Amino acid sequence: MGCASSIPDKSAGGLNNLDNGGAPDAKNLRVKLVLLGDSGVGKSCIVLRFVRGQFDPTSKVTVGASFLSQTIALQDSTTVKFEIWDTAGQERYAALAPLYYRGAAVAVIVYDITSSESFTKAQYWVKELQKHGSPDIVMALVGNKADLQDSREVPAQDGIDYAEKNGMFFIETSAKTADNINQLFEEIAKRLPRPSAPDS
Amino acid sequence: MENTDVFLGLHEFLERMRQPSAADFVKSIKSFIVSFSNNAPDPERDSAAVQEFLANMEAAFRAHPLWAGCSEEELDSAGEGLEKYVMTKLFTRVFASLPDDAKCDEELYEKMALVQQFIRPENLDITPTFQNETSWLLAQKELQKINMYKAPRDKLLCILSCCKVINNLLFNASIASNENPPGADEFLPVLIYVTIKANPPQLHSNLLYIQRYRSQSRLVAEAAYFFTNMLSAESFISNIDAKSLSMEESEFQNNMESALAFLSGLSTDMDGLSNLNDQNAGHLPREQLIDSKHQALNSKKEKEPVNQPKSSERKSGSKKVTFAKDQAPITKVPSLSELENKGATMLLKEDKASQVFQEYPYLFANVGDLTINDVEDLLNNYKQLVFKYVCLSKGLGSTSSSLLSSNLHTPVVDHAETVKETEDQKIAELKDESDKDTGMDDSPKSVSVSEEDVESHLPQVDAHAHQGGKNDGTSQ
Repeated sequence: MGCASSIPDKSAGGLNNLDNGGAPDAKNLRVKLVLLGDSGVGKSCIVLRFVRGQFDPTSKVTVGASFLSQTIALQDSTTVKFEIWDTAGQERYAALAPLYYRGAAVAVIVYDITSSESFTKAQYWVKELQKHGSPDIVMALVGNKADLQDSREVPAQDGIDYAEKNGMFFIETSAKTADNINQLFEEIAKRLPRPSAPDS
Repeated sequence: MENTDVFLGLHEFLERMRQPSAADFVKSIKSFIVSFSNNAPDPERDSAAVQEFLANMEAAFRAHPLWAGCSEEELDSAGEGLEKYVMTKLFTRVFASLPDDAKCDEELYEKMALVQQFIRPENLDITPTFQNETSWLLAQKELQKINMYKAPRDKLLCILSCCKVINNLLFNASIASNENPPGADEFLPVLIYVTIKANPPQLHSNLLYIQRYRSQSRLVAEAAYFFTNMLSAESFISNIDAKSLSMEESEFQNNMESALAFLSGLSTDMDGLSNLNDQNAGHLPREQLIDSKHQALNSKKEKEPVNQPKSSERKSGSKKVTFAKDQAPITKVPSLSELENKGATMLLKEDKASQVFQEYPYLFANVGDLTINDVEDLLNNYKQLVFKYVCLSKGLGSTSSSLLSSNLHTPVVDHAETVKETEDQKIAELKDESDKDTGMDDSPKSVSVSEEDVESHLPQVDAHAHQGGKNDGTSQ
């Protein structure tokens, strides 16, 4: 917890903040990304970190982090606009998840490296998506709160092994220090299936 | 604010439709709307037809000289205008048109009426930091407006405004307590709680209607996300059981039973009213039959049947007549003042009296609390109260006692999120009593102040459409 309180200044780096209002095409993808994971693992912190860099309390434009969008530019001059759908992680809402991941191109499953329970929950989501998600969904497994090494309960190797076994991309992040946040989304963008269209 | 711009969109759209070069568009729109009256309702087919029509027309606008050189915004607003026009026309045919949907509405309404009696924020994992029941009333109010509108976009906006209010409150709470900014973990539980407390009318039908008839190209991104949250809230609520509220099975059952007892307590006390309703049941449309056993459950129920398009189609005048006719055989109809006194006594006995008034956000407001933005709401509320009161008076056979002399805040007077009903009645009354023979307006009765304005434009397009049709006919 506390991702909003201690966020260092950070420029958006390679991120392209321009909101592309035009119709999506082969060069400008629009992608629905759903976040799954136990409550308290920092799903919304990851997104805020990615979208805002720094949470700006004076910004009245969008409040809350349950839905945010962010466009990034890739080296091949394509842009990917992520529309990020957060889901409620409490157990009692688990049955509602299909409403959210329906039609999603990307699922980011987040756990907290200091909670093995949240890692178990993450595995539950992976299985659920394998069974009921769209077959070509891109899945990423994210171990968040990597800054809290001292309280680590889930060895990085466990995450790596599990992700490999399930053909997922794996990364450990810290929303607090911004570690690996942009890498996570850039890596996802690279893995997206491209609509085949002639380059012009 | 939202409704102003769509209103402008429609206005502009109608202006363009008056251009001679728009004759073909007018003809297509007209004949599309007419095509609906030939078939029994079939939501799947109807929804597909509307979506296809909207998409094709928008593509045609884009290519037409009428919109040459127009910005994306103008084209978008033309599309919004088209959707609003078409759906306002089709509303009574496609909204809650299947008995199954009406049944779902009923069950959901009943469930929320019970659960709202005992649910606590903790039952949904809303942490104390984010609890703010007083301010949530504002969000409830947004949701309760959903039947004030007919156009899918306007209904959707009620949901989005509700979500926005919740998000703002959560955000402020997170700042105040130095917590993480709120995400879905915080948002969804509050939305569910607010929905249960608001118990918006015909929730199931409204959601289906938006899903089917809001133009697909516009139900995307943020709107799609928050709409999904509303669907998800509906799903959660209709499946609420002991486990989903972290209660013991016996505790949950007890709560449900006492809630039911509480509500039927109201119903026995209101025997006079429910008799009246039962007597009328035979003459009323299906929706009201279904409803009759719940009529007394909650005085709010009474407005539901009138809300149904089927019954509003019948011109509520007919209902009034029924009331008047059927009154004679009933030996004892309580007078308005008797009802009022009875209600007041019941309220005093009730320990939840303050809860009853929670739905009336302005009741405890001081002049200084109000802003200019509240004027529209207040005026709407005032109109609802007046029409409701006058209709009730009439229904009870009372010769109009002045509203001002009575207490506006008795439970007899519903808080009506649904201006629709009262507006419908108002218009039906005007038609029945003074405007009988005008017969020039085949448009659905108007819904809210803004839609009323909107509808006053419709006949002109109709006239044009007829003209277009005629011209076309003669030229061939």
